[in-house]
Amino acid sequence: MQFDTEGADFENATRADDGSWQLGESLASPNSNLSHGSQPEPIGVGTAAPDFAFAAADGRRLRLHDFRGQPVLLAFFPPDWDPARAHQLSLYNQILQRVPGGQVLGIAQDEFWCEISVEDEDDALHYPLLQGLSSNDEAAQRFGIEGVQAVFLIDGEGIVRWRHVGDASVRPVVDQLWATISASGGTAPRISRRNFLVASLAVCVAFALHPRVSRAAGDPSTSGAANAVSPESRSVVLNINGTDYPTLIEPRVTLLDALRERIGLIGTKKGCDHGQCGACTVHVDGRRVNACLTLAMQVEGAKIVTIEGLVNGRQLHPVQAAFIKHDGFQCGYCTPGQIMSAVSCIAEGHAGSDSEVREWMSGNLCRCGAYNGIVESVRDAKALMAGAHAAEQTAIDAPQSAVVRTA
Amino acid sequence: MQPFDYIRPSSIEDAVREKARNPAAQFLGGGTNLVDLMKYDVARPAALIDVTHLPMDRIEVNPDGGLRIGALVRNSDLAEYPRVVRDYPVLSQALLAGASPQLRNMATSGGNLLQRTRCYYFYDVAFACNKREPGSGCSALAGQNRIHAILGQSPACIATHPSDMAVALAALDAVVQVVGPQGKRAIPILELHRLPGDTPQTDTTLRNDELITAIDLPALPMAAKSHYLKVRDRASYAFALVSVAVALDAQGGTVREARIALGGVAHKPWRALEAERTLVGQGASETSFRAAAETALRDAKGYEHNTFKIELAKRTIVRALTTMA
Repeated sequence: MQFDTEGADFENATRADDGSWQLGESLASPNSNLSHGSQPEPIGVGTAAPDFAFAAADGRRLRLHDFRGQPVLLAFFPPDWDPARAHQLSLYNQILQRVPGGQVLGIAQDEFWCEISVEDEDDALHYPLLQGLSSNDEAAQRFGIEGVQAVFLIDGEGIVRWRHVGDASVRPVVDQLWATISASGGTAPRISRRNFLVASLAVCVAFALHPRVSRAAGDPSTSGAANAVSPESRSVVLNINGTDYPTLIEPRVTLLDALRERIGLIGTKKGCDHGQCGACTVHVDGRRVNACLTLAMQVEGAKIVTIEGLVNGRQLHPVQAAFIKHDGFQCGYCTPGQIMSAVSCIAEGHAGSDSEVREWMSGNLCRCGAYNGIVESVRDAKALMAGAHAAEQTAIDAPQSAVVRTA
Repeated sequence: MQPFDYIRPSSIEDAVREKARNPAAQFLGGGTNLVDLMKYDVARPAALIDVTHLPMDRIEVNPDGGLRIGALVRNSDLAEYPRVVRDYPVLSQALLAGASPQLRNMATSGGNLLQRTRCYYFYDVAFACNKREPGSGCSALAGQNRIHAILGQSPACIATHPSDMAVALAALDAVVQVVGPQGKRAIPILELHRLPGDTPQTDTTLRNDELITAIDLPALPMAAKSHYLKVRDRASYAFALVSVAVALDAQGGTVREARIALGGVAHKPWRALEAERTLVGQGASETSFRAAAETALRDAKGYEHNTFKIELAKRTIVRALTTMA
């Protein structure tokens, strides 16, 4: 076994009496959505991981079996798993520290995933990123997990030792793990505090899915619509932040789901999903709207701007900067919607007074109650933008007057 | 959300043809209510006919000097249209009292008229609701009925119409222009929405194959002095418990003509015609306004949680008229 040195705790924590790593599996199963008839079974614990070829981030052609001799954590990444977030990256670090010599193989399409290979804490770990695999679903097919989130821990002998597999909507969290262990009356065998910590991390790591390798949903009435590709799906080109994104969607896919689940622009948040909270606010042809109640097909041909489109190079939009300066948020979940709404509020000329700002920002709810900071942010950004506008005008005027003088 | 077909017609005629061909389809405007209802499985159209790209997005001046508002004019644009602000302030105020800036940017004037009730039981498919499932019963009668109707209700349904805009239009005697396979017709706003009776599943007198193309505002000089007062649980972004649209023509302290419409109290925007008549020739004073309010609510009936609305409606009428006097 490859896990028997310092990794022994990790092994015990997740390994059931019969020798298979059932803890991770049994924790995942209440949430997993594997009962649809025709779906292939995911590769099980104790079986050999299938091989597949891929190009590593550095361009080398590799196969999974090339990693024989060291443990591998194979994760199918979701677009909303953000390697720039230190706490998410640290989960990988901590798990891999329990698995000496281990590698994380992350499957993702987006280029920004490259960040994962340079952000590590002690130089002992590195994370080859398998880019571009998501449009080639060979790996997902072979592992039997098309369209679902999945993490596999594969030992040095190429055997799957632990897995978390679930529907794309399943978001395992530490709380769920706590609840499961508590419900078992604390009698789960050989779970020490340290073991538990590691197991928790393992489940957290299972924030993973592979949305672009999607298949038709088994049951159209479930929440899987966002990822479902049905025979009625159509090709739609959405222009977002100045870039055309061709995407294949059903009529029932909202702009919000298209942005987040299809295109991978996850800055726009899903709050209530019913037009009541404003977390999904984006601009369509210059107007702020709720992306959750906008069908993606309706806005084909429109200019869509999301929170990702506000930044100018590395220069934050004045409203973004003002939210940071004035603590216009606490948890930050409503913030992208607040900022998009605030940009419009100012542009519409509805930020003349604090009470006007409150009224015209009333479509954006903040459960943390950061409203005072938000109002201050809008007020300050408005002044900043007015000043910048004045400066711009001066800059434009100056050469003109020079021309007049010389003429 | 149930799967559906998405159709984008190229003309108004094409849209009407599609609807005639597919009676289980629905027209899609801003989607702020319909898409929401589809997410809750309350609405299950076989197809959506997206009319938002059709040429019905203009505001024009009618020969009588009034305005023709295209069915696709967004609520936000209508609310800030200079002639609406100047000549029909009640309409501008009603629009701005509704929803949020984002939703107003999406919502169309035609779609606003066709909003469905916000009754909790209508929205929740686990409950009986005669409007959603004819014959299944009314869960609101003995349930949480704080937001429900006090006027014009029936034993089958005590839901209210949620639109603010429609209440202002009721006070202004607007006319709704529609087109169907049989051609065009004009429906006075007070005849568009209906009372529930024993068929609460039908909100309006619009035929299944008809499309709203425009709303006409008649030239109405008295409307320059008009006002919308909305009472709700939050200062902003909430449906009305009670709302009142008023217009008042008073000369030398005497009322020559008054318009009073109520929202949040009935299955349709509620015009208080009798109360208006009692005001004519009376002094523009709180005493006569109170008398008119009593007349307007004379037949009101409350339920376990909404009886407060009767007095609230009276006071809101008095306050709105006093503001204009």
